[in-house]
Amino acid sequence: MRYLARRAGQAAIVLLAAFTGAFLLLQALPGDALMIKYENPELGLSPQQIAEVRERFGVDTPLPVQYVHTLLGFAAGDFGYSLQTGTPVRQLLAEALPHTLALGGIALVAAVLLAAAIAFGSSLPRLRWLRDLLRSVPPLVVSIPTFWLGIMLVQVVSFQLGWVSVIAPGPVEGLILPVITLAVPLSAPLAQILVRSIDDVAAQPFVAVVRARGATPAWILGRNVAKNAILPTLTMAGLLLGDLIGGAVLTETVFGRPGIGRITEQAVGQQDIPVLLAVVVLAAASFVVVNLVVDLLYPVLDPRLAARAREGVPA
Amino acid sequence: MSATFPTRSAAATAAALALLALTACAPAASDPAASGSGEPVEGGTLVYLEHQAHTTLYPPSAGFYPNGGIVNNVFDRLVWQDPESLELKPWIATDWEVNADATEYTFDLRDDVTFSDGTPLDAEVVAKNFDLFGLGDPERGLTVSEAINNYERSEVVDADTVTFHFTAPSPGFLQATSTNNSGLLSAATLDFTLEQFAPGNSAEVIGSGPFTITDEEIGSAVTLTARDDYDWAPPDRDHQGRAHLDAVQIRVTPEDSVRVGALLSGQADYIRYVEAQDEAQVDAAGFAVYAPQTGGVNNHLSLRPGSEILSDIRVRQALIAGIDRQQVVDTIYTDRYPLATSILSSSAQGYVDTSDALAYDPERAETLLEEAGWVEGAHGIREKDGKQLTLVVNESAPQPRSFEALTLISQQLKTIGVDLQILKADAGSAAEAVRDVEQVQVYHSMVARADLDVIKSQFFSQNRNALLNLDYDDGTIADAQLEELLQAVASEADPAQRIAESQEAQRYLADQAYVVPLFEEPQVYGAAPRVHGVTFESVARPSFYEIWLAD
Repeated sequence: MRYLARRAGQAAIVLLAAFTGAFLLLQALPGDALMIKYENPELGLSPQQIAEVRERFGVDTPLPVQYVHTLLGFAAGDFGYSLQTGTPVRQLLAEALPHTLALGGIALVAAVLLAAAIAFGSSLPRLRWLRDLLRSVPPLVVSIPTFWLGIMLVQVVSFQLGWVSVIAPGPVEGLILPVITLAVPLSAPLAQILVRSIDDVAAQPFVAVVRARGATPAWILGRNVAKNAILPTLTMAGLLLGDLIGGAVLTETVFGRPGIGRITEQAVGQQDIPVLLAVVVLAAASFVVVNLVVDLLYPVLDPRLAARAREGVPA
Repeated sequence: MSATFPTRSAAATAAALALLALTACAPAASDPAASGSGEPVEGGTLVYLEHQAHTTLYPPSAGFYPNGGIVNNVFDRLVWQDPESLELKPWIATDWEVNADATEYTFDLRDDVTFSDGTPLDAEVVAKNFDLFGLGDPERGLTVSEAINNYERSEVVDADTVTFHFTAPSPGFLQATSTNNSGLLSAATLDFTLEQFAPGNSAEVIGSGPFTITDEEIGSAVTLTARDDYDWAPPDRDHQGRAHLDAVQIRVTPEDSVRVGALLSGQADYIRYVEAQDEAQVDAAGFAVYAPQTGGVNNHLSLRPGSEILSDIRVRQALIAGIDRQQVVDTIYTDRYPLATSILSSSAQGYVDTSDALAYDPERAETLLEEAGWVEGAHGIREKDGKQLTLVVNESAPQPRSFEALTLISQQLKTIGVDLQILKADAGSAAEAVRDVEQVQVYHSMVARADLDVIKSQFFSQNRNALLNLDYDDGTIADAQLEELLQAVASEADPAQRIAESQEAQRYLADQAYVVPLFEEPQVYGAAPRVHGVTFESVARPSFYEIWLAD
């Protein structure tokens, strides 16, 4: 329990640091969203009219005041308004998040399954002939750009073969191609890690002992090797969250899907600081949470770590 | 949050199924012989793909084209501008009177028009609309309409008569009442703040148009549904009564190849922004390409005279003579992008041909630069007093293929010894740089509006100030004569005289070598063969009102 409390405290500090860093960096950018929106030059407003709008939005208040104001807002769950459109940021995130969670979550699961299929498939002795082929897949796939894969899938599977609709699809139909687009490049590094650790674990003395007692290779792989090889893969899956977020930006743009990635892409283009700040904090929060979950899963998978966690030793 | 997701998607599925059912029923209910040609068919949902998401529904700020697909179909206006002849015809206003010096406008209104919330569209609400558009409300973040000058106040004469008063002549006002920026809003909507006009609240924004906004997914989709009781289209339009379509689904699809692919594979019916390089693919498939002109200030480069190098007219003239505009149009664009012959589009009111000042003549360009003291330097770039002839032009993200066009122009200018750098920056840096005459000496832009005022909108110091004639830092005006000419266009009450003023301003811009007009900018749309009745308002925003689907 103390372990959990300490980890939660660490998470809060990480979030505050992410907020502060993002706040300062975004403020340091040249220009601002109001300038982009009101001065450049679509509305043809006079300098005096622009000054009135700037005053109303309070952009020219001192930085420390803005910082405290924004931080207190965030703490209370109020992320302000998009400067570009005026939509409350909380509403933007609330509408986009379920779409991105569904896409990202399913893609991550699909990537792990795909990686496991490649790794275990290439480690089963009966399929030795497949081994080299399967093991050459990850290095090949890791070099496919997400963007290109998305466009190819849309053009071939949707537009030429007509198997799924991309424009106005059903909820499940709409996930098929984006999930593939996101999961395939993600599965490659996972498969590589998994293959490597299967080899490592298979070379351990205890495996030789189990084998000597008459276990079949498949039994060893499933019961002994897999359980031990999964730990580094889990860590990797946590770290891949960054790739997942980056991939979501591209995937959501290609497929015209609503989501956090689309919001981010639009906000970056317009330097919409309240939106970007909220996205950074949200991304940091999800990083913290996922890695916390991974850390908490460790003791479950490895009893030795559970003992240490009970004693309060860092895992 | 996770609890609302299944509900939302269930509702979306139900809505999609309902729309599907409507689409499926529509052709069966009508005469099969009618489909394909001639008689419009009622019903069906049009799937329309936008390039970008809409940003606001507050009409004075809604000039951005992605807003136009919504605004032009949801809000009616007082006056209708015929997109062909540019004449102003009755719409919500049946008749109007303007006093001799254009400081008083009186409109007679129809008495049978209602907003989609059931409230009447009467003189009271029209007055309230223009009080907001003409004066703005900074407290609510709502700006004054660029199209309305010198607004003073409104006066409700009776239930269907309203008068507007101006502090000085405002000859552009009548046309302004026909534009998207003057879309009529219900009384309740007029109390909104900027935030309430934002995406996410769109279904609450009420107009009296042929469609109402019934559903929205922020940043990705907007559904428009036809009003059954709509019966106040402009009398001069071919179609009257309710829209043919039942609904329009506007879906944001940023990726160009996906938009075109969706159209050609039948997943979408109608798309905006077919890039020049994709036109051939759409043409070849037998689909329609529409390229209505935006008809205002052409796509052009402004040569800013306030900058050190360009303060010399000979250098500006040399740049114009050194740019092969025809090659730019032929190489980067298609024949749907006609070569510009003035700063104004040839379809704009008051247009005058100034091509004599725009001829491509690289030899003359070199002579002019020599005369101005710019001599051959290192790496083929001219120098004067140890300084290189280096200029910066902004990449204009909203213009089609801006970077490609500027790259070609930069290559052309290199042959006469001019180094043209292209500023490719994030929106913030670009917004700041274009306001500094020594950071961006050459400014790439255009503006669409079908009124003589458009030339003032682009170049006047208090409007877009494209030439940076007003220096924002020290408040000085570089060319006072230009200011006077532009002011005259916007304040002359006599229509014939206004045209003369516009022509003088065009001539002046050409003679002073202030602008390099490139091409007459169209908005390029693609549509499936089953889409009929495609029309546009005067600056190429789509109207869905007359569209019908043939299957």
